[in-house]
Parts: sequence; C-alpha cells; structure tokens
Amino acid sequence: MDALKHEVEQLQKRDNLEKSIDDVQKTIDLLMNARKALSTDPKSTSMTLAKLQTPVKQSFDKVNDDLKKIHSGLNKYSKALDKKFKDKPLPTAENDALSSHPSLINRAIAMHLLREGQFSVASTFIEEANARPPHPEPTPGTPNPYIQDKGWEKDLANGTLNSEKLQKQFADMYHILRQLREQRNLGPAIAWAREWRENLETRGSNLEFELCRLQFVCLFVGHDGEGNMGDPIGGPLRAWAYARSEFGPFQHRYAREVQQLVGAMAFWENIPDSPYRRFFYNDSAWEEVANSFTREFCSLLGLSADSPLYIATTAGAIALPTLLKLQNIMKEKRTEWTTQNELPVEIPLPPSYHFHSIFVCPVSKEQGTDQNPPMMMPCGHVIAQESLDKLSKGARFKCPYCPGESHPRDAKKVFL
Amino acid sequence: MAELTTTKLNAESHLLLDQPLLRMPYELSRKNFKTAQRYVEREREFVLTALKTTANAAMSSPNSSDPLGSLDSMISRMQGLKRKLEGLHEEEKAIHKHSRTRIQHLQDLYDIPSLADVKYDEWSRIRLNRLLVDYLLRSGYGDSAMALAKEKGIEELVDVDAFVACHKIEASLRAHRTQECLVWCADNKQALKKLNNNLEFELRLQQYIELVRSGNAQKLTEATMHARKYLAPHQDTNFAIRAAGLLAFPPETQAEPYKSLYAPERWDSLSSLFIKTHNELFSLPSRPLLHIALSAGLSALKTPSCHSQYASSSSNASSSTTTVCPICSTELNELARNVPYAHHTKSYVENDPVVLPNGRIYGRERLMQINEKIGTPPGKIRDPTGMAQLYDESQIKKVFIS
Repeated sequence: MDALKHEVEQLQKRDNLEKSIDDVQKTIDLLMNARKALSTDPKSTSMTLAKLQTPVKQSFDKVNDDLKKIHSGLNKYSKALDKKFKDKPLPTAENDALSSHPSLINRAIAMHLLREGQFSVASTFIEEANARPPHPEPTPGTPNPYIQDKGWEKDLANGTLNSEKLQKQFADMYHILRQLREQRNLGPAIAWAREWRENLETRGSNLEFELCRLQFVCLFVGHDGEGNMGDPIGGPLRAWAYARSEFGPFQHRYAREVQQLVGAMAFWENIPDSPYRRFFYNDSAWEEVANSFTREFCSLLGLSADSPLYIATTAGAIALPTLLKLQNIMKEKRTEWTTQNELPVEIPLPPSYHFHSIFVCPVSKEQGTDQNPPMMMPCGHVIAQESLDKLSKGARFKCPYCPGESHPRDAKKVFL
Repeated sequence: MAELTTTKLNAESHLLLDQPLLRMPYELSRKNFKTAQRYVEREREFVLTALKTTANAAMSSPNSSDPLGSLDSMISRMQGLKRKLEGLHEEEKAIHKHSRTRIQHLQDLYDIPSLADVKYDEWSRIRLNRLLVDYLLRSGYGDSAMALAKEKGIEELVDVDAFVACHKIEASLRAHRTQECLVWCADNKQALKKLNNNLEFELRLQQYIELVRSGNAQKLTEATMHARKYLAPHQDTNFAIRAAGLLAFPPETQAEPYKSLYAPERWDSLSSLFIKTHNELFSLPSRPLLHIALSAGLSALKTPSCHSQYASSSSNASSSTTTVCPICSTELNELARNVPYAHHTKSYVENDPVVLPNGRIYGRERLMQINEKIGTPPGKIRDPTGMAQLYDESQIKKVFIS
C-alpha cells in the first residue's frame, strides 16, 4: 500500500503536466521575442528566423522530455499496481446466477435504499428502473432462469411490494427513531407499539412495556415527556400519575417489574444510592429501546433488522478469497465439483453471520434438508433420515451413539 | 479459538473486489497523458515546419513573405496548446487526488484489526455503497448513481463521469448512430490497436450496411468507396469479401450471413461489443462487482432452511428472540433460490437444545426466556413458532446433536 501511495505522491508532486506547461510557455516567449525583434527591426528578419530554429526545437524537445518523465512516473505506478494485485485476479463470474434476475436485484436495491432511509435516491432509482427495465441475461449453469420473473415494477403496482407504502412505513420508522434518539421523545414510539400491541404480544415482544417503563423513568427523574427538563420535585409525582393511568394493562404480565418501579417511589429522594439505581440510571437504555424497536418494526414487515444486501455483500467479500482458492485448485486438478446445490468448501464466517441452526448428520456428514430431514431416535440422538434408513433397513437397530435400540418408526422428525 | 480465526481480517486478501477502484483512475490518467502527448506532437510538427518554411521564404523572397503573420499564427497555436494542456493538467490533478483518496480508503482497511470491529462495519458499508454505485452506473441508471454517491459523500471513490460518457455512446448506438462511438474509437486508437480490437471495423461495416440498405445508385457508389477506404485494410480478407457480397442481396433476403448483417439486432450487438471493449480498456470486470460479491455472499449465508417449506425454529419472523436471516428476508429470498447453499461440516445449534413434542428444537434458555416474556403460566411451555399449543414443562426433552 505504501508503495502505491509513494508513486501517486510522486505523480502529484513531480511527474505532472505542470512542467510541460512551463516549457510550452517558454516556447511561446521565444516566439514572442522573435516577433518583437522582427517588428522593431524588419531588416534582420531572415537572421532572426534562422536563429530561432534551434532554440524552438530544443524547447520542444524539453517539453517532450517532461512528458517522458510523466510517462515513466505512470509506468512506475502501473508496476506498483500490478505488484499489488498480482495474486488478486479479478474474480471471474463463472457461477454468476444473478445476471438472469436483474429485476430481483433491482428490487433488493430499492428496498435497501428505502430501509436505509434514502428516500430521494430510492425514488430516483425506481423512476429510472421503471423507465429502463433491465434485460435479463441468461447465464449458463443457472437451472431455471427466471420462471416467474414478472418484474418488481409490476409488483410495485399491484401491491405485493408497494414502494410508496414501504417508503411511508420506513419514513414512519425513521421519524420515530429520530424522535427517540435525538429528541428523547417516546410518544411516537409508544403510539406505534399500542397500534401493533396484539402482533407484538404474540411475538413475545415486550417493547410496549419497555417504552412505557422508560417513559416512567424519564418522568421520574424530571423530564416532562417532551424532552425538556421540568422541576425535580414534581418528577416523581408526575411519574406516579403516569403509572396510575398507563400501567393498568401491564399489571398482569409485568406485575413484578411494575412493583419494582412503584417501589422505587419510596426512595425518590436518593435513587442513586438505592437498590433501584440500575433502573433509573441506565445510559444504554435509549439505544437498546431504539434497537429493539427497529428489529420489531422490520420483523413485522417480514424483513431482517439489518439490510440483507449489506450482510450478504459483506459475507461475500469475506468468502471470496476462499472461493478463489477453490477455483484455482479445481482448475489445477481439473476436477469438476459434483454436488450442484452445495458449496464444496466451508466458508468461515464470523459468529454474527450465523442465523439458522445447522444440522450435519454425524453419520453421513450431510446437512439436513427437506428431503433428508434430521430424525430423533427415542434415546434423543439425531441422525439424518437417509442414514437412519441405511442403518436400520426397516428393522430394529442400535443407535450409533449409545446402546439404545429402537425401531425406525419410533424416530421423529425434528425442526431446528 | 474458533472465534479468533473466523473474525480475523486479512486485509491483503480482502482487496479482491477493489482492484478496479485503482485501475480506473490509472487508465484515465494514462489516457489523459496520451492526449497531452498527441497535442504536443501535433503542435511541434506544425510549428517546426512553419518556422522552417517561414525562414526559407524570408531568405529567398524577403518582400513577398509575411513572417509576422506566420509567427502570429504559430503563437496563437502555441497558446491554444497551453490552454489545452492546462485543462488536461486540471483533470490530471483531479484524477491523482481520486487515486490518493482511494489508496487511503484501502489503507484504512489495513488498520482494522478484526471483522467484528465497528470500523469494519463502517468500511464495509462504504464498500456496499461503492458497489451499488458501480452497479447502477453499469445498468445505465446514472441519476440514481450520482444521487447515491452524493448523499453518501463518496464521489471520489466512484467513476460516475466515465460511466455516464460510456452510456451516452451506448445509447447512441442503440439509437442507430455510429458517430459518437467512432469519435471514441479515434480517441483510443492506440489502445484499441494493442487490444487487437475490431470495434472500429464493425462500426464501419455497419455504416456500409446502412448505405447499401438504402438501395439507390448514388448511395451504392458511396458504399463501395466507403468499403475500399475502411473495410479493405482489415487483416481478415473475408471481412471485405462478405461486405462486397452484401451488394448482391436486398435487405429482405433470407440468405445467411447477409440476413443477419441486415438485421436491426446488429445494433444491439454493436452496443454490447462497445461496452465489452470499454470495460476491457479500463480493466473493469465484465460483470458488476455487486454480482460477484452478492453471489458469493448468498451462497456463504444460505442454509437448507432458507427455502424450506417448514419454518425454521432458530430464525424466523414470528418471534422476537430471533433475528430474521437475510436470505429469508423478502429482499433476497427469490434471488438466492438458485445459488448453492453453504457447506458445513459441523452442526451448529444453540446451547442445551431441547425438543418439544411437536419436534421443534430450541435452546433451553431461549425457550424459557421467551415463555417468560409472553407470560406462559408457570409449569407450562408454549412453542414460540406456533404459539397455539400449550405443553407441560415435563414434556420437553433433552436432545443430543453432535
């Protein structure tokens, strides 16, 4: 990297057109002077002109020399680039399964822009994509190039992916988040949570309660709920009033937490020294609430909390070196790799990139799929269906992991 | 240990996707330099010969020559050259500045210790935006690309202008005009020759075809002249012979290869040939980088559960204790259908897995946590994915997954 930096600095400092321009100016000066001499003393014309030949030529040679220096500077830079990227060829797109689905990519991008809150870019993009729909290029090796690729532009129109609606939803989300993070105003978030109370409850989310609890804490320590500081003594009173009016619905499910909050009332004068300190002085509470709000909001739309496009491209960048190595090895050994629907190598991704549980059959080393699901024997060990069939041949058999014996019909399909 | 190896960031090998980032400005600066060289060469030729003839004229016939006038014209040509060079110098400065910023951007990666670092997250987001702009530009969505680059403040990391120019030419070809593309070919003549590229010949052939297509006698003579001038020098003599043959066939002919020469689709293939040549010239990959990154990423993340007909216990939208997997999310789900899934040699399950009577497996801690949150009565357990069925706590069973 330093070599590259050095070469570019050389180009910036030394090997550029500045000098050539100077020398061109010098040539102009030569001509100008000759012109002056001619006009003042026309008699010497042929003499002056004859004398002019060599200097002008030399001057041009100088310009050319300057250019040569630039040329060599550029060459050096190019060599440094070659060296840097020598072992890093551009990834070929041999198994590019995406070119046949450009409209799906466009859809993903549109949704990414919307969820990132870049509404103006998104609307420009949707307009442009509508005006110039992409041409799918079928790629070899892709099993079924767009079967029902009816175009997300149409989806937009018929409501399955309504960009205006989606945009409005994300605009709402950003409005609520801004209020939360910057204004410390819980109002819009609480209103949203109320509206979606039933869905949130079945998801086992206690977002609404968390928001209300934070509101209570705010009131208690003296915010007036709109983000301004009120007088400190009125705080606990206002919090008490808030608890009486709002905590009713939570009584049943969050009895303990409500009791804790109300219990803190007794310590209103010196909360920082009381056992309730952690409820009231928790700086990360706002960020936590904001994050869990984002997660719930996206989940209710069936979307993951972080942009999938971001996660996937990052994972791709992490995976590329491994895949490239694989490609090289396969080329060297001239082997084709046979199982089409599974990658031939394991790609080490950081733990945060694991989403689903993975089941790998300890007998066959194959991953559980719909066709070959994991089966649990009565002893509690799990193997893949095909392994089970092979081991048992339809009769009682011994578990490969413990002395337990069972009949294959007692094995049960499990879901991870 | 495992964690350390998977989060280690090897910056050197991480730059696979970033070669075009530096190649493009390099090619641009080279082109800039070549232009400067051409200008200088042209003026040198002119001024030196002009000087010589003026001097000779002044010597032989001092009265009839106008040395002042010719000097003036030389001076003004030189001043023109200076202006042009100054323009190129400005451009050069901008390009070098871009290179510099880009090198710094890549350098930043070397200073990030781990993939789990927040800084990597930021860096990777910038990269995503770069890839998106690249994709948008290649798809011809210039306005969106510009807007995105502007909003994200990454104008120095993307080559909007070069791509927009490229797309203008492509559009002109699709609109059945060869002029713009021929100008481009002339601009890059040397480089094209080095690549042994046929683009210019193909364009000339297309011009010829259009002349022949019109069918009137005058145009046909013009076409023959055109062919003699531009098509005959081609190294492959068949090229010119085929062109000559075209004269004998009317545009509605069914005979090959003449039918396909007349076909309007030839314009489309010309425009893709141009794009291909353009990318080759600027050492750009033929497919958008986003495709490359995305298809690798989709595979690396995809599991058999992502397109399973059964809901996955470990990641689904119906419970707040799990995050939705990016492949299962609406954006990418269909896209990922055709890519292979990741290879795993070891099971990866939550700690202390237990199974419910309906066959669903959860980590015990998470199952308890969520049941507490949804307020299941004590001693009972609800399946977070189904919710309807209520089980006795005694019905959950330990499961062994190795």
